Amino acid sequence: MKFERNCLFAFLALAALVPFAVRDQYVLHIAIMVLFYAVLATSLNLVVGYVGEFSLGHTAFLGTGAYAAAILSTQYGWPMWLTIPVAGLLSALVGALIGAITLRLQGPFFVIVTLSFAEVLRLVADNWIGLTNGPMGIAGVPQPGVLAEAGNLASKQFYYAVAWGLLALALYLSWRFVHSNAGRAAVAIRENRYVAQSIGVRPLTYSMLALVLGALLSGMAGGFYAHYISFVGPEMFRFAFMVSMIIMVLVGGKGTLVGPLIGALLVTFLEEYLREAKELRLSIFGLAVIAIVLFLPQGLMGFAGRRRERRNPAPAAATGPATPPAPKVAHHASGRTA
Amino acid sequence: MDLLLQYLANGLVTGSFYALSALGLTLILGLMRVVNFAHGELYMLGGVMGWWATTRLGLDFFSGLVLVAVAMGAFGWLVDRFLIERIRDQGEEAGILLTIGLSIFLANTALLAVGTAPLKVEAPISAAPAFIGPIVLTKLRLFAVAVCALMVAAAWLTIHKTRLGRAMRATFQDPTAARLVGIRTANVYASTFAMGTVIASMAGMLLGSIYSAQVAVGGLVSMKAFVVVILGGMGSFAGAIAGGLLLGVAEALWGGYVATGWVDIIGFALVILTLVFRPYGLFAKRAERA
Repeated sequence: MKFERNCLFAFLALAALVPFAVRDQYVLHIAIMVLFYAVLATSLNLVVGYVGEFSLGHTAFLGTGAYAAAILSTQYGWPMWLTIPVAGLLSALVGALIGAITLRLQGPFFVIVTLSFAEVLRLVADNWIGLTNGPMGIAGVPQPGVLAEAGNLASKQFYYAVAWGLLALALYLSWRFVHSNAGRAAVAIRENRYVAQSIGVRPLTYSMLALVLGALLSGMAGGFYAHYISFVGPEMFRFAFMVSMIIMVLVGGKGTLVGPLIGALLVTFLEEYLREAKELRLSIFGLAVIAIVLFLPQGLMGFAGRRRERRNPAPAAATGPATPPAPKVAHHASGRTA
Repeated sequence: MDLLLQYLANGLVTGSFYALSALGLTLILGLMRVVNFAHGELYMLGGVMGWWATTRLGLDFFSGLVLVAVAMGAFGWLVDRFLIERIRDQGEEAGILLTIGLSIFLANTALLAVGTAPLKVEAPISAAPAFIGPIVLTKLRLFAVAVCALMVAAAWLTIHKTRLGRAMRATFQDPTAARLVGIRTANVYASTFAMGTVIASMAGMLLGSIYSAQVAVGGLVSMKAFVVVILGGMGSFAGAIAGGLLLGVAEALWGGYVATGWVDIIGFALVILTLVFRPYGLFAKRAERA
């Protein structure tokens, strides 16, 4: 816990230094995307890592937030300081609605129904032309007034600061959630639903809490994205976005707060770096994903955690060699419930 | 009235195609519990290989189909033995991520190999129209529906009447007990995955001769197949067929009477409603649910 906290502080402190060290706009753009993805991965991790349900519909919240911010600012002229929080709240509302339906399901059913919701929202964004401008998307989302005079570099620095603030907020909220009773209850549900229920933890309440918090954070990230890129289209709901998020969480290590940060950093850079390989890029990316599943099933943080345990074993485990965590029983049980 | 009949006929034809493309997934998802996101890509590979066999190798449709089935069967077997085997007991997440990686790899590698253009698979019979009372369908589509029925029957017979099928059913009921009585479960898993792959790729080639084989089609096929499997209930053959027909008819009617742009939403709406009100699917025999 202490190690985790120190890691988070170190990451945020290092991230805060980046704009002073970097003057290159391209690198700064990548850095902004790393922070943006770190918020997304953190929010997804709340569901995947702490509730233990595999959501493939997280783009629903991201897209809702992005569209909300875009529509509020282009049609009603709201400033960015208002649209981002409102986008988050709206996504949280959508999260509560979707959660009320989907969280009753588990395993493959949950996966597919969350994916269905994201697809439904994508189709709505594609076809409800009066509201969303259909496949054309909403272009020209206004920049905040402060940036009217500022140059390109200054506005990149400004957005970097906003993204950093969002990430700090996301990490703070996740930290408070994970280390609260609610977070421990969520972990209990993840580890064994039936035991949790038998001691009075209601699965729906706590998984809902995690989902709504995740939706809030990713909605705010979506609002930020709308202003930063200044364009929002139905691609926000695309599966490709989801794939990046999932990979970040799993590469870094789900169920840890540091993991998604590392995942976001690694995957964003890998995607940029592979741009050089042009057409081969996505093929290599696919192979990399397969390799990660096969060789790093617990993610990088899981790997690091095991190393640490092995080096200074906890008193209880001191007698035998540290073994990888046993496969979770909950998965097998979740298939067959009356 | 005639229009309604025509819509219904179209819906049933499309529905049987949906059922066929979902049949492989009902084996892999319903029985093996692998949430296979590469299903659509296996279908796509079947179409692309069918195009290659018929136009480049100059084979006729049926020899091409046999070639595709054999090659994809071997491919499915290898995928299971070398990839899925290693994550068998790790729950769904590992399988989902692995198959997502596989689908990204397959789709983009195929894109490099053959490009984005639609590929026409040489059809076995003419696409001339056939008139049945007031309804017009092409002969090719009727032929394809017949092949669908044949393949469903063959798959059902394999599962219910052969030694391998018995071993499969035993393994998916209780893998430990199956191992105890001497079933090589690793082979059974690999055979099931190979069978699912063969069915998916044959569907891809058959439907490639009606529409066209396209590299980018995978995602859409996967989604429709998931919809059909959920509607019908996990691992139920009759369910997959009924789910496919239901989806086809619902889409045809909706597209005919309401709005064509929103057709794809039907499937997802049906899935959400099914999972809320009948979580084990419309037709599952066992009361198995999430």
